[in-house]
Amino acid sequence: MSELQAAIFGALGGSLFGLMALGLSMGWGFLKNINLAHFAMILLGGYLTVDLATNLGMSPVATIVITAPLLFLVGALVQAGFERFDVSEFNSLLISYGLLIITVQVVTNIWTADYQRMAPDVNPLAAESLRIGPFVFPAPTLLAAAFAVALVVLAQFVLEKTYAGRALQAFGQDRQIASAFGIDHRMLGVLLAGASGASAAIAGMLIAVGEPLIPFSPFEWIGRVFAIVILGGIGNVKGTLYAGLLVGAVSGVVALAWGPSASPLVVFSLVVLALVFRPQGLFPRKAGH
Amino acid sequence: MLRVTDLDVYYGDAQALWDISLTVTDAEVVSIVGSNGSGKSTLVNTIMGMLVPRRGRIILDDVDITDMPGHRMCRAGVAIVPEGRRLFPAMTVRDNLDLGAFNPAARARHAESLEWVHTLFPRLAERRAQVAGSLSGGEQQMLALGRALMAQPWLLLMDEPSLGLAPVVVDEVFDAIETVNGEGVSIVLVEQNVQRALDISSRAYLLAEGRIVLEGDAKEMAQNPEVRRAVLGV
Amino acid sequence: MRHDRGWIALAAIGVGLFLVPVLWEVTDFAVFYLVFLSGILFWVAQATSWNILSGYSGYFSFGQGAFYGVGVYTMAVLFGRHGWNWLLVILIGGVLAMLLGLGIGALAFRLSSLKGEIFALLTLAFPFILAGIVRLFDAIDGGQGVVVPVPSFPELLAPFQKFYFVLSSAVALLALTVAYLMHRTRYGWALFAIRDDEAAAEGLGVPTFFHKMIAIGANGLIGGLSGAVVALNLGFVSVEGTFNLTVPLFVIVMSVLGSRNHWAGPLLGAVYIHTLQNQLASGGFEGWSLIVLGVILVLLMLLAPEGLMARFTRRPALAGGVFVSVLVGLGLLRVWGDPVSWLAAALGATAVVAFLPGGSARVPGLVTAGMMTGDEGDPLDVTSIPPSDGSDGPLLVATDVAKNFGGVKALRGVSMSVVKGELVGLVGPNGSGKTTLVNIVSGAFSPTSGAILLNGTEIVGSRPHRIAHLGIARTYQIPRPFSSLTVRDNVAVAIMFGREPRRLGASRQAAGEYLDLVGLGRLADALPGQVNLHERQLLEMARAIATKPGLLLLDEAMAGLNPVEIDNAVEVVQRIRASGVSIVLVEHLLRVVNQLATRIVVLDQGIVLAEGDPGLVMKDPAVVKAYLGRQADAPGD
Repeated sequence: MSELQAAIFGALGGSLFGLMALGLSMGWGFLKNINLAHFAMILLGGYLTVDLATNLGMSPVATIVITAPLLFLVGALVQAGFERFDVSEFNSLLISYGLLIITVQVVTNIWTADYQRMAPDVNPLAAESLRIGPFVFPAPTLLAAAFAVALVVLAQFVLEKTYAGRALQAFGQDRQIASAFGIDHRMLGVLLAGASGASAAIAGMLIAVGEPLIPFSPFEWIGRVFAIVILGGIGNVKGTLYAGLLVGAVSGVVALAWGPSASPLVVFSLVVLALVFRPQGLFPRKAGH
Repeated sequence: MLRVTDLDVYYGDAQALWDISLTVTDAEVVSIVGSNGSGKSTLVNTIMGMLVPRRGRIILDDVDITDMPGHRMCRAGVAIVPEGRRLFPAMTVRDNLDLGAFNPAARARHAESLEWVHTLFPRLAERRAQVAGSLSGGEQQMLALGRALMAQPWLLLMDEPSLGLAPVVVDEVFDAIETVNGEGVSIVLVEQNVQRALDISSRAYLLAEGRIVLEGDAKEMAQNPEVRRAVLGV
Repeated sequence: MRHDRGWIALAAIGVGLFLVPVLWEVTDFAVFYLVFLSGILFWVAQATSWNILSGYSGYFSFGQGAFYGVGVYTMAVLFGRHGWNWLLVILIGGVLAMLLGLGIGALAFRLSSLKGEIFALLTLAFPFILAGIVRLFDAIDGGQGVVVPVPSFPELLAPFQKFYFVLSSAVALLALTVAYLMHRTRYGWALFAIRDDEAAAEGLGVPTFFHKMIAIGANGLIGGLSGAVVALNLGFVSVEGTFNLTVPLFVIVMSVLGSRNHWAGPLLGAVYIHTLQNQLASGGFEGWSLIVLGVILVLLMLLAPEGLMARFTRRPALAGGVFVSVLVGLGLLRVWGDPVSWLAAALGATAVVAFLPGGSARVPGLVTAGMMTGDEGDPLDVTSIPPSDGSDGPLLVATDVAKNFGGVKALRGVSMSVVKGELVGLVGPNGSGKTTLVNIVSGAFSPTSGAILLNGTEIVGSRPHRIAHLGIARTYQIPRPFSSLTVRDNVAVAIMFGREPRRLGASRQAAGEYLDLVGLGRLADALPGQVNLHERQLLEMARAIATKPGLLLLDEAMAGLNPVEIDNAVEVVQRIRASGVSIVLVEHLLRVVNQLATRIVVLDQGIVLAEGDPGLVMKDPAVVKAYLGRQADAPGD
């Protein structure tokens, strides 16, 4: 495999991590919550996809018709709880950590700690691949990348073109004045958290289509997803996608050159450097002027 | 008309305003003058619903708005041009204006309002795609005013609109205030540039250490040595 | 006396830990109990070391696994693979982890942006980086895991479980001793001040960078020692088993459960959590352990973020009584369970009692109010003018000081001086640059250009705590007390780190004088949150003069006060000045300035507009214009 190929494969895989980072980053930037329960929702999304596809015979991709609204509700409820107890940014981190480990244990108790994957006949996509030019891409990776790009574009559109989206931005910049102009943050917060829960459902489905799940998977994701949130810039929608692609490509190339165990080393060294030198993220938010 | 009666306002356990009563009638400019720290901004923020008075009532057109939450105030017809402008700095001029019309009633009249604001401040039309944080001080003040007008307010609360601006720009801002008032919008003006504020006001209130110590015709106040004493402390 | 109780508690723990193996020899308890206790001791060491940094200083770390992992792998490689002396390797493990801590600190603590959540996430990265390194190099692990053989140890300590218990006890006791010593000395108090308000601490003379480095170094050292010891017990170590989220998670839950601002909080939390885990496992409820931990964390954060320690100290007799009686009662009856179940039952009962409603928090101010003896108003001569060369030369000389914030020119070349004994009123309209000047003189900002000499020494570029030590103190417009320390201790911190530093006990005693000077003596034992705004502003002043400054910068010290309080504050300022401190008074209440100032400097739009005698300056036409705007009879200019 060439470096170029490794970079492209890595970037496509990284876009899924960008999607996972999207909800977390927006919640952090606009609502000032660091919601680790987001990972719990991704995990639930993945397991529900496996379960629904296997037991009800649904197409794995179609399961989001059920899981997305369900997790929309869960995300909105968690946010309503944060709002109700007036939880600070820092405490939201610890509380949602509690919610995450509760979920991990519940998932273990329901689906066991063993790897769960869909049988080939349930998930035919897993075995397919697509040849583009000199490269052969696995279908799940392409599907994930397509969803990631589509959702980021959608999020960016909503944020920039709709009233609700721009109100969210305004709220992130000056809460008091936004409120003076009639922006009711509670409603917006609950909607955003719900949307972020729905995106977790989709991310969970994409993961389940591509690879097996274990209840402790979130702890493998956390580091990389936070790396992307920070590199992309907190609350920066397009930035999370770019950072996902970048982290994926770097991991791919490093893994090829020095072995897979070296890629977290490089990625997290990048995070440390980014935090020290560019805490606002690598990608400019707006073209300015 | 706006009627404020017997307000007592506290920050935690520190009382900031004592027994404040004032009125504003249709299409009038009312100045609130006083030295720094005399409670002017506190009064504005209280009327805007950002602070809740411990005593007293705020009544707008026979509706008691004292306990109305901040985000409902602009629906009641009150908009603010805050001290330091406080635009949404990372968003465009157009976004800032649109957000001024966020409440449903104002949103319904969005096109009309936008045209009005663009006619009043053609510069804002030219710079619609520019990020608010990159505007000059004077342009930012115009935008803050324009954003407030987008809410189609009956009453504008303006807090230190000339603060930190060059003298030429201050002239522009005061011209703009008079123009807006000419369109029938009532204005409560809090301004450290006492002389200029009184020039364009019909009535004024003098605030000192959280109390109203003098009220009356703005032109008479301008001549009153007590105003000078209160602001200069001599 | 409070401290003596601490020593007694520590000594009791030490004696208890010594007696356990001795008693174990002569009784017929199973080896399981030694293992169980060693487990608690491991968590005591880990959680206590975490708490020294994250609890005391508020720099919350998700990186405990990095220190722990360095200890584990030092033992695995140097002892397991190369057969070095295990005792030496324990020490090496501690030192390496300490160096890692200092490295992280050197990176993170230089930047004021790396606080709060950002610091927490930075520390999250280090276990991943270490895991990568360990997995990458075959000389360390290479992904295969490393076997750690049973070390040889003195026959006296056999079996291995006893030997391991002794090692665990030693590390845990060290951790508790360090945490306790810090708690009662400047090293801990510097961290408490940093946690409550880092900028204010620095301004009072606390060398914050140094103390944060001490804290993260101690965290690393103890975390590493404990990791090296536990590796001996593990027998086989792997990357996955070492650098997972168990250690970072548990130390957080334990410390939050116990208390993050008490040295014994993590101890309490470790006992609770480890016992609970053990009960869940032995009862066949392993599948519930994370659920229980998660529920505890969520409920604690929502309902009792201050932790169990605070609940127990509200009614210590009741808590202690319930604990002892349940434990002893079950032990005597012997109708149910084993000793660990009795312990679990006793802990559970105590926690329930602690969370019963009622039992008021101590309001210290009310307890001691009667003990202070009157006459707080005496102008005590407690501060001294810094060594003078005899003449009334200038104390402070600022030359052409300019400051730009981005494109905004806040100060455009200000020159002013303060002579010893003066009280200079610094006035000007909103936005004229007064507070910016105070921030520059106190070192909080550095100027874009210009020079500032204090007693002839250039202070531009010095850290705020250096400037405090040279003799400048300041207050903040909105008071910034250390909210978790009492009024007295707020002042004590200023003395401890001031120009004539003293130890905690002496500082606490001396604090009373300064509180009396500002008239706060009767509130010495209240918390800042329990006193009103006026009293908090007086506390600002007391804290500032307790550093023994030559020059005091009062930034709008009377904002938001009512007329009676203003008169009182004016009197206090006069008293401070009478004690020999020169003062720069930033104030918008011009009647106050006119009453107090010997000289006035008027700033407008970042330059000095006028200066001189208070009565004359305020009649200067330029000043009148700056305050009132364009004169009707004098348009433009």
